[in-house]
Amino acid sequence: MQKTASSSTLGPDGLDIAQSFFKPIQGASPPPPISRNTKISVVGVGNVGMAIAQTILTQALADEIALVDVNADKLRGEMLDLQHAAAFLPRTKISASVDYSCTFGSDLVIVTAGARQITGESRLNLLQRNLALFSKMIPPLAAGSPDTILLIVSNPVDVLTYVAWKLSGFPSNRVIGSGTNLDSSRFRFLIADHLDLNAQDVQAYIVGEHGDSSVALWSSISIGGVPILSFLERQQIAYETQTLAKIHKEVVEGAYEVIRLKGYTSWAIGYSVASLARSILRDQRSIHPVSVLAKGFYGIDGGEPFLSLPAQLGRSGVLGVTNIHLTEDEAIQLQESAKTILEVQSQLGV
Amino acid sequence: MQRSASSLALGPGGLDLAPSFFKPIHGASPPPPTSRNTKISVVGVGNVGMAIAQTILTQDLADELALVDVNADKLRGEMLDLQHAAAFLPRTTISASVDYSSTVGSDLLIVTAGARQIPGESRLNLLQRNLALFSKIIPPLSAASPDAILLIVSNPVDVLTYVAWKLSGLPANRVIGSGTNLDSSRFRFLIADHLDVNAQDVQAYIMGEHGDSSVALWSSISVGGVPILSFLERQQIAYEKQTLEKIHKEVVQGAYEVIGLKGYTSWAIGYSVANLARTILRDQHKVHPVSVLAKGLYGIDGGEVFLSLPTQLGRNGVLGVTNLHLTEEECQQLKRSATTILEVQSQLGI
Repeated sequence: MQKTASSSTLGPDGLDIAQSFFKPIQGASPPPPISRNTKISVVGVGNVGMAIAQTILTQALADEIALVDVNADKLRGEMLDLQHAAAFLPRTKISASVDYSCTFGSDLVIVTAGARQITGESRLNLLQRNLALFSKMIPPLAAGSPDTILLIVSNPVDVLTYVAWKLSGFPSNRVIGSGTNLDSSRFRFLIADHLDLNAQDVQAYIVGEHGDSSVALWSSISIGGVPILSFLERQQIAYETQTLAKIHKEVVEGAYEVIRLKGYTSWAIGYSVASLARSILRDQRSIHPVSVLAKGFYGIDGGEPFLSLPAQLGRSGVLGVTNIHLTEDEAIQLQESAKTILEVQSQLGV
Repeated sequence: MQRSASSLALGPGGLDLAPSFFKPIHGASPPPPTSRNTKISVVGVGNVGMAIAQTILTQDLADELALVDVNADKLRGEMLDLQHAAAFLPRTTISASVDYSSTVGSDLLIVTAGARQIPGESRLNLLQRNLALFSKIIPPLSAASPDAILLIVSNPVDVLTYVAWKLSGLPANRVIGSGTNLDSSRFRFLIADHLDVNAQDVQAYIMGEHGDSSVALWSSISVGGVPILSFLERQQIAYEKQTLEKIHKEVVQGAYEVIGLKGYTSWAIGYSVANLARTILRDQHKVHPVSVLAKGLYGIDGGEVFLSLPTQLGRNGVLGVTNLHLTEEECQQLKRSATTILEVQSQLGI
């Protein structure tokens, strides 16, 4: 098996310990032709891509990680920086190349490539910059791993997931956008922090566009089995819709605030995507609010928009969308969100 | 317990769920006055500090993580970026402050603050820039956590660990430098990659200065129980001393190469320090090559010098230094490394 040597002085041209170090046993067969490794490719090694790759590595989610980018130096530097930690991690093969061929046979392809949001720029404004890039990227990725699951992170994620779906030719269950998985985590964090409670005990979804028109499903929030709105009623705690809207706004503002303070976001999206990777590759059948083909759900019939809905994820990608009950108001907001996305999509000509 | 609210709209001014959400049971006692949480403080939230903090968080090594820096915006941004991942992690209290009082009661203090190496700059050249900084940082840190273990990462790490020891007034077993823990990992990676073996099966130490005068202990390298040099002899594989030196040089160059390619190193040092944190806080009694007070060991008598030796670490910090057999030459190299460091230290006037 061809391997690029990490060292120039350890090997046939220098000190070659390898040839006699290990002896095979009698009657051993060669490795099977079809690799049974779990391989994840990450396209784009900026702050987001690397936070994702490093979290996946730390959580031992893959046997093989391939990194792709256009900047060969940065790529090699990042690969070496991960490889140098070999003594502290389970053995994981890490490769890096400007060539998409290194992604062949991936079980999961994570796309983060694209321009990042500038402070104040809305996600939709990024679109034009990323569309041309996807036309070059997605076809070779899909061709190199025809059975893979494609996970889009680049923003604006909903439209770009639609674009990736069209360009890849994949069935819709195998093209997912990271969507509002992170928004929902921010939402759960705010509620959990207020209650001094573990965030994993807060079931709360933000759905729809990963952006300004996202929808907070207040009617479905359940904390340790306590539906929140019923709780407020029973306790006779008065609240205004405005207050709920303010909390939701804080969630949406969360990303912009981090960008303003440190220049970009990285860690949270890294954990968010690693969590999706785990659900998919380990067939966890967990529910995540992620961007999926929403046509036919919740009265969304006007086209083929991708937007976040609570979706059950497993080894074959999207297993299904939860049949959550929405209030009249939530359903309307969701349909509005779908329209917002479709308006943009229709201008694309994909 | 005073806590700053994460949300403006959740709480007494907005939607206040907290007062009636959980009911205490009869006869419950308040929490004990002495916190039994494991608390780690990371000083400096640059690439290295944040890679360390994030890896510690992912590996669930602490109950409480405090971040300190001079840049309040960057600090808050990094804190939020970690907190937003609350739904994907075990609950960890994360705080951030420009004030050292936030580090009170730490079990482990990790100092990464200081200028980073510019491509081509040797570690020793950084010294002057970091000395003044340590005079401001170390005294309040050790005053706030008099029982803590102080782990220095800033470069040049050996001299700065000596400086931190002097400034902190802490006993020598509780002041450690990250030293050659990472160099040794790079060394083990190169050997493991050549042999196609797991790096954790390669026992190989680089000792002495974390820098150009480090010493590769070839005579002690053991792979799966096979001492390398004896193996080469038995297999009659000829090699030149120069070849061994070239391999060692590749290790030392490793860091500079990553800096040249991506601008800095982060991931590997993150894993390296998290690995040390685990050994210390979980009392693992593992041997790591880290920078310790080397006076009186291996014939090093010329002064109070910190440099990396294979050290057994546990909850009380340095439990002891391994009594390795060094060849005459390795011994000489180590003493020369000590002299190099002492020359620099003597110019400091501490």
